[in-house]
Amino acid sequence: MNEEQQLIGEMARRMLDDHCGPAVVDAAEQGDYPSALWTLLVDNGLTTLGIDEALGGAGGTFGDALVVLREAGRKAAPLPLAETLLAGQLLSSLEQRLPTGPMCFVQGDVSLNESGQLQGSVHGVKFARHCQTLLVAARRGEDPVICHIPAATVAVTQGKDLAGEPSDDLDLFVQVQPQACFDIDEAKLDAVLVWGAAMRSVMMAGALEEALGATVGYALERKQFGKAIAKFQAIQQQLAVFATQVAASTRAAETLMVQSEIASIDVAIAKARIGEAAGICAEIAHQVHGAIGYTRDHRLNHLTRRLWAWRDAFGNEAYWQERLGRTLLVEDSGDLWQQITALG
Amino acid sequence: MTWPKAYGGGGRSFLERYVVTEELLAAGAPVGCHWIADRQSGPLLLKFGTEAQKQAFLPGIISGESFYSIGMSEPDTGSDLASIRTSAVQVPGGWCLNGSKIWTSNAHLNHYMVTLVRTAPATENRHEGMSQFIVPIQADGVTVRGIDNLAGEQDFNQIFFDDVFIPDDHVVGEPGNGWAQVMSELAYERSGPERFLSAFRVLAEFGKSLQNGATESQARLYGQLVAHLVVLRRMSISIASLLEQGLMPDTEAALIKDLGNSYERLVPEVVRLYLPGEVPKGLAQALEECVLHAPSFTLRGGTREILRGMIARGLGLR
Repeated sequence: MNEEQQLIGEMARRMLDDHCGPAVVDAAEQGDYPSALWTLLVDNGLTTLGIDEALGGAGGTFGDALVVLREAGRKAAPLPLAETLLAGQLLSSLEQRLPTGPMCFVQGDVSLNESGQLQGSVHGVKFARHCQTLLVAARRGEDPVICHIPAATVAVTQGKDLAGEPSDDLDLFVQVQPQACFDIDEAKLDAVLVWGAAMRSVMMAGALEEALGATVGYALERKQFGKAIAKFQAIQQQLAVFATQVAASTRAAETLMVQSEIASIDVAIAKARIGEAAGICAEIAHQVHGAIGYTRDHRLNHLTRRLWAWRDAFGNEAYWQERLGRTLLVEDSGDLWQQITALG
Repeated sequence: MTWPKAYGGGGRSFLERYVVTEELLAAGAPVGCHWIADRQSGPLLLKFGTEAQKQAFLPGIISGESFYSIGMSEPDTGSDLASIRTSAVQVPGGWCLNGSKIWTSNAHLNHYMVTLVRTAPATENRHEGMSQFIVPIQADGVTVRGIDNLAGEQDFNQIFFDDVFIPDDHVVGEPGNGWAQVMSELAYERSGPERFLSAFRVLAEFGKSLQNGATESQARLYGQLVAHLVVLRRMSISIASLLEQGLMPDTEAALIKDLGNSYERLVPEVVRLYLPGEVPKGLAQALEECVLHAPSFTLRGGTREILRGMIARGLGLR
C-alpha cells in the first residue's frame, strides 16, 4: 500500500474504533441503524472513494475504497458502505453523477417493458431498506439495462442474512424515465460481480485479521488446568494455522488494493483464496473460544457470521476457482509457469 | 548472484536471485549440489566469516566448483537442535572434532560441511558453547555413509567424524556464537520458492492434461491450486524484499514454509482424485515422484510442528 492509502486506512480505522464498537453492531442488528456513523463516513468522503471528483466522488482509486472496506470488515461495520461504493463504481463507469445518500445494486429477475415499466422481484438485497437510490439491473427483451430509481418507489419486505445484516426482498412495479435507464453490455454486469467480489474479499481479510487478534487475546487470557490455554501446544498449533491463513488472505487482499486497474484474475484468486481461509479460520476461532464464543453476546460472532456470509456473496470459492481454472486453461499460452510469473 | 563483486559475486539483488532460482526450480533443473552453498553457506561466511575465509572459500562457490552440506541434525538430534553431541576440543592450532551428523543431503558429492559443534560443555543456557566449523569432507577421519530414502534414491547420508583436525581458520565467526549464526541461516532456508514449488510439476502436468477439456471439478481444482500458488509466491517474494533490507523475518519465513509445505503435500493428494480418463505419462510420473517425496516436504528445514511452534511464539503465545 502507498503512503496515502496507509493514511486513509488509519483514518477509517480511527473512526470505526471510536464509533463502531460491538455495542453498535449489536444495536444495528436489533434495528438501530447507526446513521451518525454513516454521516461521519460521508463527511469524510469515505462513501465515494474511488470515484472521480467531477462526478461528485471523493477521488482516489478503487484500491483506496478497498483499503477502507478492509477496515469496515475488521469492525463489522453494519452499514451499506460496500453497497454504496459498488453502486458508485457502476454509476461512474456509466459517466453518471452520484446522487447523495446510500445506494445499492439490485440484480435478479427484473424486466423493463416497452412502456418503461420495471417489473420483477429480487430476493436478499443487502441494506435495501436504508438506501435512497437503487441501481436495478434489468432486461429489455434480451438486452441488459441499468435503471436508476428512488428506493421509495419499491415495496420492501425486510429480512436478515447469515450475518444478521439487513437483507430485503424487493417487489418492483415502477414507471421509470427513459433518461434513468442505461443500455449496458454483459461485460458491465461481470464488472459489477468482479468489483463486488473484490470488496467482499478485502472485508473478509479485515475480519480475519481481527478474529486472529481476538482469538490470540482470548487464548492468553483464558486459564484452564492452572495456566493460560495459549500455553498448550494443541492450541498453539491451531493458532499457527490460523495465522498462516490470515497472512495469505492479507497478501491476496493487498494485491487488489495496490492495483490502478482492478484485474479480474486477481479478484478470482483473492475471492477463492480468502473464502477458503474464512472457513478454516472461523472454525479455529470458535474452537479456541469454546462455548463462550458460541454465545450471541460474545462479539466473535459479529466477525464469523460475516465471514460465512461474505464468502458466499458475489461468487463463492467454487465459482471463482472454476472461473480461474478455465481462464488459465483456455489462454493460448499453455505454459502455467509463464502465466504465474506474468501475474507477479 | 547477490554476493559482492569483490569476491567474484554478481552484486545483484535478492529479488534478482529469486527470479532465477524459481525459474530453475520450475524447470526442474538439477540444482541440488550448488543450492546449499548459494542459499546459506556463502551468505553465512559473508556475514560472519573472516576476510581470509571469504577470500579462501567464496570464489570456489561462485565458480560452481565447491559444494556445501548443512551440518545440523544428528542421530539423536532432530528438532531439538541444541541437544547436539558432536563436539570438539581445542588442540594446538585448532580443534579435534568427534561425532556424527545425519540426513546430510549430497554429502557424498559435496566438498565442505558447515557443521554445528559443541565447543564447550552445556550450561544452564543450552544455546551457549556451540560453534560452526567448515569441515572439508575429504579430511582425514571423515567417513560418509549413504542412506537410501523411501523413493530408493541415495540423497542423504550419515557422516562420521573421528578425531578430525579442524584448523582455527576453519571456525566460522566467534567460537561460542554458533547458535546465533545457525539461526540466522534459517530465514534464508525457509522462505524461498523451494518451499512451495516441490509439487509444481504435478500441477503443470495436470494443467496440460486438461488442455482439451476439463470437467467442472477439474477446472475448479486447478483454479484452487493455482490461486494458492500465486499467493504463496507473492508472500515469498515479499520476504525476499525483507531479506534485501537486511531484516531477519524468522516468523514470516516459518509461516511461508508451513503454508508452502502444506500446499506441496496437498497437491498430489487431490490431483490424484481428479485425473483425466487417460493419464498422460508425464503426469503419472510427476505424481508418483511427488507422492514418494511428499513425506520429506514437511520435515526438511524444520518440521511442521516446530515451525508452527515458532509461529506461535511470533504471535506471543509462548
